[in-house]
Amino acid sequence: MVSSNRIIFHIDVNSAYLSWTSVYNLQHGDTLDLRMVPSVVGGDPRSRHGIVLAKSIPAKKYGIQTGEPLFSARQKCRDLIIVPPMYDLYIRSSNAMVEILREYTPYIQRFSIDECFLDFAGTENIYKDYIELAYKIKDRIREDLGFTVNVGISTNKLLAKVASDLEKPDKVHTLFPHEIREKMWPLPVENLFMVGRATLPKLNKMNIYTIGDLANHDVEILKASLKSHGVLIWNYANGIEDSEVRSCNLPEVKGVGNSTTTSFDVADRKTAHMVLLSLVETASMRLRNLGNCCRLVSVSLKTSSFVNYSHQRKLLTPTNSTRKIAETAYNLFDEIWRGEPIRHLGVYLSELCSSEFYQISFLDDEDTEKSSRLDKAIDAIRLKYGPKAVMRSVFLHSGLKPMMGGVTEDDYPVMTSML
Amino acid sequence: MKVVAKPIEMAAWFTRDGIPHPIKFRIVNEDESYTVIKIDKIICTHTEKLAGNCMYVFRCQSVVEGIERIFEIKYEISTCRWILFKI
Repeated sequence: MVSSNRIIFHIDVNSAYLSWTSVYNLQHGDTLDLRMVPSVVGGDPRSRHGIVLAKSIPAKKYGIQTGEPLFSARQKCRDLIIVPPMYDLYIRSSNAMVEILREYTPYIQRFSIDECFLDFAGTENIYKDYIELAYKIKDRIREDLGFTVNVGISTNKLLAKVASDLEKPDKVHTLFPHEIREKMWPLPVENLFMVGRATLPKLNKMNIYTIGDLANHDVEILKASLKSHGVLIWNYANGIEDSEVRSCNLPEVKGVGNSTTTSFDVADRKTAHMVLLSLVETASMRLRNLGNCCRLVSVSLKTSSFVNYSHQRKLLTPTNSTRKIAETAYNLFDEIWRGEPIRHLGVYLSELCSSEFYQISFLDDEDTEKSSRLDKAIDAIRLKYGPKAVMRSVFLHSGLKPMMGGVTEDDYPVMTSML
Repeated sequence: MKVVAKPIEMAAWFTRDGIPHPIKFRIVNEDESYTVIKIDKIICTHTEKLAGNCMYVFRCQSVVEGIERIFEIKYEISTCRWILFKI
């Protein structure tokens, strides 16, 4: 039950990756605080995976944007310091923060690795003053963990999220419904959650430039041009949003997918099949872990000239066997590939159903029982001794990783567009 | 005190609860000789959890080459490494 006078906090770590790396370096005796100089966290510039993942506030002043290649970032600022990402550190920092937050309320939604929603429903008698509490939490994280956060306070998740974004770093902001007109409406419309680079030009065409313009626009016109998304962002612009603070961030898994950008152009069929196999290895393991089978397999690829295409096929019977999924993926790939060099390959498994029962089919070409036992054994070995414990011999001396996709071995809180 | 952040070799004892107590350590000098420093007194200890990384921090006092000095050593739990942090 969602009550109308809820108190929701949104905690957002200021330049998360960069702060965490910086605090870690300072703890180990580094004298330079990366947060105070133009610096970015980026992939390894020697391999082709080099983009800006996070930037310091001084780097922002040079116009460096998250997601741009390191090469162009370095052109904007010649003395830019680039540090590689440390995902295990980020997970540890994020966990430590959540541990502190749990002391204040049990209702926590980890929205992403550096963002949390906190619900203070029913705590009126414990916390008299929410602003004071927000300062306490913010200062405690700074003192104990060494990095700064922004806290946004409001009556729903959307307004709390907008509030925490108002002015950075190390600040507490409120954005209650009566403050919408004054604090939220003057902001540019692209600052609103769910208004991205696809929606922005459409809104600008309708002469909508600020959140206030959007809020005061006719919702029927928005609905006609942007469909249900138009209604959603109109509601957001008016501060209407009532989703719960969910302890599990992901509502329901609808599919399992994996993709990778290769560090070289894949030009032959065999290598492409191996990349697909390594993606299927991790994706199907996740599928089995969820206790699901999939009925739809789709393969997507991006060529070296950045053309995307994809192809999908429905299976006769749902499956979670690595071999079967990989074979379908090979077929799909062979059917769409026109021989051009490939930069990016992806596999996506959907139309999930429970793997509790299995409908045997006359058309099964393998002993399903046997192959499911094999997958189970391999999964168990990999869980116990790490992903490198068993691998397919085709990957020996190939230079390709036998399992690709995913961020790290640990559970990494992923981003979602659903509040 | 100045930050030096030098890895050191440590002899320490641990309580039954797993809390370390440093006894003496040695550092490698530039000419690859060792200097052994015995910890005469632990002035204070605390744990820090910066960026979620736990470390025990000891502020100690010892006589180093005839001079009484105060310094800080750290023990990183995740890697079991000791460092001479400040001297």
